[in-house]
Amino acid sequence: MDATERFLSRRGLLKALGAAGGGLALSRWVGRDTAMAQEPASSGAIESFTGPGANQRWNSVGPYVTEPQKAPLLLLTDRPVQLETPRHYFSTAFTPNDAFYVRWHLDGIPNNVDLKEWRLQIEGNVTKSLGFSLPELIQKFKAVSIAAVNQCSGNSRSRLQPRVAGGQWGNGAMGNAMWTGVRLRELFDAAGVKTGSVQVQFQGLETGSGPKGMASGSFLKSLDLANPVLDECVVAYLMNGEPLPMLNGFPVRLIVPGYFATYWMKCLSWIRVLDATDENFWMKPGYRIPDTPKGNTTPDDVKAGKVNMVPIAKMPVRSFLVSPDGSSKIPAGMRVTLRGIAFSGYGRVTRVEISDDGGKNWSAAKLGEDYGAYSFRTWEAAWTPKSPGKYTVAVRATDEKGNTQPDEPVWNPGGYLWNRIEKQELVAGTAG
Amino acid sequence: MQMNRRVPVAVLVFCFALTLAGVGVYAELQKGQYQAATLGQFPQTSPSESLPDSQYGGRAYPLYPPELVAGEGKAEVEGYCSMCHSTRYITMQPPLPAAAWETEVTKMKKTFGATIPDEVTSKIVRYLQAHYTPETRKQ
Repeated sequence: MDATERFLSRRGLLKALGAAGGGLALSRWVGRDTAMAQEPASSGAIESFTGPGANQRWNSVGPYVTEPQKAPLLLLTDRPVQLETPRHYFSTAFTPNDAFYVRWHLDGIPNNVDLKEWRLQIEGNVTKSLGFSLPELIQKFKAVSIAAVNQCSGNSRSRLQPRVAGGQWGNGAMGNAMWTGVRLRELFDAAGVKTGSVQVQFQGLETGSGPKGMASGSFLKSLDLANPVLDECVVAYLMNGEPLPMLNGFPVRLIVPGYFATYWMKCLSWIRVLDATDENFWMKPGYRIPDTPKGNTTPDDVKAGKVNMVPIAKMPVRSFLVSPDGSSKIPAGMRVTLRGIAFSGYGRVTRVEISDDGGKNWSAAKLGEDYGAYSFRTWEAAWTPKSPGKYTVAVRATDEKGNTQPDEPVWNPGGYLWNRIEKQELVAGTAG
Repeated sequence: MQMNRRVPVAVLVFCFALTLAGVGVYAELQKGQYQAATLGQFPQTSPSESLPDSQYGGRAYPLYPPELVAGEGKAEVEGYCSMCHSTRYITMQPPLPAAAWETEVTKMKKTFGATIPDEVTSKIVRYLQAHYTPETRKQ
């Protein structure tokens, strides 16, 4: 920690104030009006909904709420629970468990799990149906860890034009964690997948009030047995080294690296090998994207029945500016650090570039530590606003496959796959 | 008028049934438990509750019902839509075109299996169109 950092840290600042005679010293540096202006940003200023235009804010506009085992997060819905992670939590590569976003589909969310009763069942088209308790999963199988981003298919849905119905997420329906658990393949091997099997279905403890066999009764997701992602899947019992919060899937959750979160079954309790393709609502027509470049289409083409829809899969490359967030002016001539994160479901991020003229000229940002292909990668870049005025800072990431973010919007009927280049207005004021 | 009297009774019966079911479920499955809460209150964390030894988790999830616009059909919306989900699913949406609301309600019935009588369905659609479209939405 250098001298500047020490002074800027909260403890350092308190020490400095204490040494200078407490509160009295503060008034020498902070004007009275400025001190009075430190109201919380949420004091009635924010709109209660956005639209029909695009949501212009980084996050969604719901109020902060506190749910069991969670820090205050932004409320989308209370039953079932959907919570968004505020922007500032993305300043680090790993998202804290208590700040990790939450998205359930049905209202029968488990409030608690009795581990004496709970078993992970492997059943269906297998040689031998098996059930594992949590201690058995921990003791009988080798523990593996992987850093992987979990992002809701509908993250940033509130950006779409025209708007589409669904969870009106800002950018905070995502998070990165170090997941530790058991390889899915080892569980398959233990049970013995029979020939003629085509898919594997995942089911958690969530149920709904609707009739059995309909979309509101149960939430089921399946992956093809031939999909190579199954080799990378982990049944995780640790999230950032701790048990998962109930709302994030205690006791175990399926990790599908690179894939959207719809497949990452929470409270995973049934792994079912199928001999036919799963066509339950959550596979068809739910969570489908147009079979077009970047999953783009138009309302007219959808209406005309021109669009072939396929199950959503990997996450396109994205990057975000986390700070500065535009809430404060920056004195012209002062050097600040732009910071953020980037990720791609197609492989590791190899380049992040920033622009301060809305995307005309780009320069490379410095990448942070590499935690693996599926993790958030932090980035930073020093930036000095040379003269007072407004700057449109843009961020663009490229992954190892050469995929880069477009500057064009995305539209499809589900409101999925948004990955347009993010832009943030920063204001520089006159200094001195 | 007859209609107006009948629906709240249905809603009451439903709520009563939900409470009974809730009590039963709490004893066995420990899922789907919610309780009223107040927006703007952020309780600090406290030591874990004394659950039986092998049980984890525990608390009911807080409910923050939104204030729906007053108007014809509000009781039906609150009664029927709340059978499966919070009415925040309505207020969270951007203003949606009238046809989109009709599609949503139809989806709730046909795809999700909501048992809503036809005459109530049209009342619910009319309510949503009267208060939650780009032309009509105020709050």
